[in-house]
Amino acid sequence: MKYLPYVLRHLLRNRVRTLSTLFGMALCIFLICTLRTVLGAMDASLRSARPDRLVARHAVSVVFPLPDAYRSRIAAIPGIKRVSESIWFGGLPGSGSSQDFANFFANFAVEPEPYFAMYPEYAVSPDQWVAFLADRRGAIIGKDLADKFGWSLGSTFQLTSFIPTYQTGRPFEFVVRGIFHPDPVRYPGTNEMQMLFRFDYFAEATQRRAGVGMFYLQVDDPARAAEVSKLVDDGFENSDVQTKTESEAVYRQSFTALAGNLVLLLNAIGLAVAFTVLLVTANTMSMAVRERRTEIAVLKTIGFSSGRVMALILIESAVLAACAGGLGVGLASVLVSNINRIPGGGAVGQFGGALQLSGGLAAGMLGFTVLLGCAAGMVPALGAYKARIVDTLRAA
Amino acid sequence: MAIVAIDNVRKVYRRDTQDIVVLDGLSLEVPEGEFVALMGPSGSGKTTLLNLIAGIDRPTSGRVVVAGTDLSALSEGELASWRSRNIGFIFQFYNLIAVLTALENVELPLLLTNLTKSERRERAQTALRIVGLADRARHYPRELSGGQEQRVAIARAIVTDPAVLVADEPTGDLDARSAEEILNLMGTLNDAFRKTIVMVTHDPRAAVRAHTEHHLDKGVLSRIVDRHERQQEARPLVPNV
Repeated sequence: MKYLPYVLRHLLRNRVRTLSTLFGMALCIFLICTLRTVLGAMDASLRSARPDRLVARHAVSVVFPLPDAYRSRIAAIPGIKRVSESIWFGGLPGSGSSQDFANFFANFAVEPEPYFAMYPEYAVSPDQWVAFLADRRGAIIGKDLADKFGWSLGSTFQLTSFIPTYQTGRPFEFVVRGIFHPDPVRYPGTNEMQMLFRFDYFAEATQRRAGVGMFYLQVDDPARAAEVSKLVDDGFENSDVQTKTESEAVYRQSFTALAGNLVLLLNAIGLAVAFTVLLVTANTMSMAVRERRTEIAVLKTIGFSSGRVMALILIESAVLAACAGGLGVGLASVLVSNINRIPGGGAVGQFGGALQLSGGLAAGMLGFTVLLGCAAGMVPALGAYKARIVDTLRAA
Repeated sequence: MAIVAIDNVRKVYRRDTQDIVVLDGLSLEVPEGEFVALMGPSGSGKTTLLNLIAGIDRPTSGRVVVAGTDLSALSEGELASWRSRNIGFIFQFYNLIAVLTALENVELPLLLTNLTKSERRERAQTALRIVGLADRARHYPRELSGGQEQRVAIARAIVTDPAVLVADEPTGDLDARSAEEILNLMGTLNDAFRKTIVMVTHDPRAAVRAHTEHHLDKGVLSRIVDRHERQQEARPLVPNV
């Protein structure tokens, strides 16, 4: 600790260089943290998928609807325990040209009884459930969504879909009848930035011309999920509208696949950024040590061992990296915690579960940054270690 | 008793394929409490000899014993530790650390000890008082004159109370008045604090402050002049005496 003031003085020797390196590194760490958090949310979303839940959608693309009539035929297939119609509504606050895309959030019309039986993570208290069933305009929303808009039980709001087929000439009106906030240990990765409302309300308002976006299915036996999926798809093989039935996890993965191989891309960016951090810090430390060659010789002359001089340079590099890591992690934490409050930020959460910078990731990134700092300082530190006093003083 | 004993030391540098003999079988003894000036033309080996005494360089052959320790027997780490306890080094260009105040520069060697922060500060203040710069403790080197910087460097050299002070042309970068002040200070350290001083200098005015002048030429001692003989003609040196 007694060397820390000495180390800090040196870091502040060239403030512009140190601060530009620090902010550069912090930006990189911020980027890595944010990317890892998005990837973590995707993973959590996939982990929350259950093997007994299937999704049947249009064989060509999820954007095409399925006929209502498929519901009864699917429900009759052996092994199917429950079926719920569902549609991704695409509702936005406001209407017409004043639609607020910046405050976008996911909203789905679902059949209450079967859907909530299949998805216990969205369960609400019995009185809220009763109120929801009693009100056709009723909506159940996640706690994050309620916090973002300041909604509570009984709050009313209006949404208008940006999908022309779902537009009825006037906004859909909703009343908050339930707020879900599942146990994060039991149901990790649950997206609390979404809203669920009654399919019958949607179907009636659109006069059933919109069809069904997808059918959520629950099977009796998860081990037979693949077999049941095939039975569903085979049943519509000779229809005009064929289905594609897959497990919930595969279905969710297909959404991230829409953005290309996002995981590979994000990991590649993270690696490139980490390498950049290494080069930037190594350059800074090399310059800093090159300027201090005489000083290093003086330290050795007055009795500092080569190992101690080397350690001082490594500590300097590590302190710089730790400061940058702390700043980067802090910035990422602030951004991630407030992502839903940032205009357009809600769309990020649609990839999957709730975004949250975990303590493990933060600690890991700090450790990683300090390691990078040590690695970056290693070459100049070794140079200082090997420098002979007499040669260095003579060169000065 | 000799605090510095150089015995038949040879120092050879290799440059490309050529061996350059800098010190050639040199022997020398410096009694404790002595103030010695090493003089000679450029390339005569006086700075190399000073570096060997300070333990920052090693001889090619021969023995260097300082403060009772045979330096050739020490590892690099042991030698660094030994330097911190026994040697105070004064450079020609002061070599203070620009980002540290005068007090922090003087305190630097004490970081290698087990002293507490307050003890370190107290000792550094005392050293600054000895060199007459107690009022400049919070000043950075850029805020000091050349003579003041050299005095801070001397305070840094004496703060650990070393057995031997070695100075490599300590007045070489100073004007006449500042040089005089530095030489007076070194004289005081020798007289009042009984510090053994070995000083390399080109300046005859600096050399006369020393008790003894050792003149080197081409890696060997060419003559010795002590203060009693200074007014007389220098006597020729008997080899290996």
